[in-house]
Amino acid sequence: MALHMRRTLLSLHRATSSSLKPPEPLDTRCPAPLLLTVRTKKRYFIPPRVSLKGRMDGNPEAKARAAGIVFRQEYVERPINIACTAGVFDPYIPPEGDARLSTLSKEGIKQRTEQIRQSAASQLAIRKIKEQDPEFSTKTFAEKAQEIFIEAHNALTNFNKERLHFLVTERCYPEITRGNRYKTVRWKFLESLEPPRVVHARCPDMVSKGNLYGQVTVRMHSKQTLAIYDRFGRLMMGDEDLPKDVLEYLIIERHLMNPYGSWRLHGKIVPSWAPAKDPVIKTVSIPGPELKPWEEFDAENYEVPKPAAVQWYK
Amino acid sequence: MATALTGRGLAFIRATPNLFPSRFPWVAAPQQLSCLHTSALLEAPRWEQKNRKVYPPQLPGEPRRPAEIYHCKRQFKYSKDKLWYLATMVKGLSIDEAIAQLEFNDKKGAKFMKEVLLEAQDMAVKNHNVEYKSNLYVAESTSGKGKYLKRIRYHGRGMFGIMDKVYCHYFVKLVEGPPPAKTERTSFDAAKDYVDELKRRTIIHSL
Repeated sequence: MALHMRRTLLSLHRATSSSLKPPEPLDTRCPAPLLLTVRTKKRYFIPPRVSLKGRMDGNPEAKARAAGIVFRQEYVERPINIACTAGVFDPYIPPEGDARLSTLSKEGIKQRTEQIRQSAASQLAIRKIKEQDPEFSTKTFAEKAQEIFIEAHNALTNFNKERLHFLVTERCYPEITRGNRYKTVRWKFLESLEPPRVVHARCPDMVSKGNLYGQVTVRMHSKQTLAIYDRFGRLMMGDEDLPKDVLEYLIIERHLMNPYGSWRLHGKIVPSWAPAKDPVIKTVSIPGPELKPWEEFDAENYEVPKPAAVQWYK
Repeated sequence: MATALTGRGLAFIRATPNLFPSRFPWVAAPQQLSCLHTSALLEAPRWEQKNRKVYPPQLPGEPRRPAEIYHCKRQFKYSKDKLWYLATMVKGLSIDEAIAQLEFNDKKGAKFMKEVLLEAQDMAVKNHNVEYKSNLYVAESTSGKGKYLKRIRYHGRGMFGIMDKVYCHYFVKLVEGPPPAKTERTSFDAAKDYVDELKRRTIIHSL
């Protein structure tokens, strides 16, 4: 058995240049022992020989093709359903000082009585929407929009993904949920200070003409509380007992051509004159100025750069 | 001789790893071992999942819970026994001290460990709401055995041995806060504990 073993091993090492002397018989050297211990246990596992020769040269695809194997044409296609637009078309620019003036002053009344009939494009868009969706009405829509908003944020606090997908478009979903996965959000809608109003409407079409999407901007002034806790239950931002007045411009969208489409929250407009948000409850380091090797950082005279006041929509 | 292979075509060749055996057989699905005491650290990537635990918000009266960040580096070419020495050296140090010690250590494992610690520190500040990046210390640091490759080591007289190409994992847990003070255990403490143990004995079946 040992001889067989040895022979297989010898055949294994044939490629190597080790000298293969035939095993010397023990009789000639020293007297034969009574017991000849031989290794009879079979090795169950012999690791495979790793040779670098045939591995890297030539790709297996070319070899297969040369061998005559024919592959069918690969179709890498997948149908995609686009249920929402990629952004906000022609965003509404909220007038400066909105909701800052009291309603009793002259300017305040002028602002409040600003009817949507001013903008012709919005009127056209609303007419188009009414063609597709006969139940649409600017008066009732604002209330519905607020309800959608409240339900969406409640689903966000519970992180109910299915419900959230119903109430929020695919474009808005990652923006709403970014960074919230391992955090606890506590949000409460206390009351609405002014009745919500439809201020703007547009009806863009994507890809092909006639594929209509309706985007309606709703203005909301309400009282809300927000508190965000991080992964360990520590308060990161906001305060649960401190209500804040929030003026928001929400964009609600619906795929009009789709008979099963529904109005969903598509984004928010943050005007350029909006007050700065509350800071996070932790110290954050801002990257300093780029210095050459001979320059020194002057901490006293350095002014922290403030971001430009630009309207942005989420 | 031309065989028409239906299905995914060329992707078929790429998908099946056994047609052209690669150098790393363990890239295929890990075997399901049936014995109870499989290595607890590797069966499912539990160490990575520890970062997903979310605690409920703390009440205002509770003391602030320190942040815990788990990080690991899997399957790199070093011996787990040699890495253990470095891992125990780093245990209990503050993160700055640990990185400094590893930077000037000549061992190969020190480079891997330093990368892991820096990455974990970065993760802590960005994702886990840690305020000061120096306010962390190494609470746990261990090495684990990775999946080995087996090769032949040739001996004389046609004998051979199976050589293991060793790979290992490194696990680290960072906790926010200053490092805990190391209490020196004096001989007096040991003596006191011994005497207390003697006094605690219960003698049964006696008068």
